[in-house]
Amino acid sequence: MKREWQKPELEVLEVN
Amino acid sequence: MIDTKQTIAQLKGNIVSDMGGEKVMLCIKNGKYYNLGAIGGHIWELMSEPTTIEQLVSDLMSVYAVERSDCEEQVASFLKHLMNEGLIEAC
Repeated sequence: MKREWQKPELEVLEVN
Repeated sequence: MIDTKQTIAQLKGNIVSDMGGEKVMLCIKNGKYYNLGAIGGHIWELMSEPTTIEQLVSDLMSVYAVERSDCEEQVASFLKHLMNEGLIEAC
């Protein structure tokens, strides 16, 4: 049973 | 056109942590925090050693239910974003 795929996204959380 | 033979690798100098199943990263170089998400975190782990997009896609397809064309396109877009942020490099 394969896992569900979701589009990979890079989220920038905070700019220090 | 995606060059699936392109070799890519992580750039060092990032602090990576697992948080609730998602991978969170601090880039020392630019001071930014990133959330790679669960699948992005998996891709990051697969790049601990230099690898190709082709290899990444094959590894991901063995774990996730996804068509090759969708996987290639979305992984390439994700990697481009990582490269723009200076987190990975093309070898």
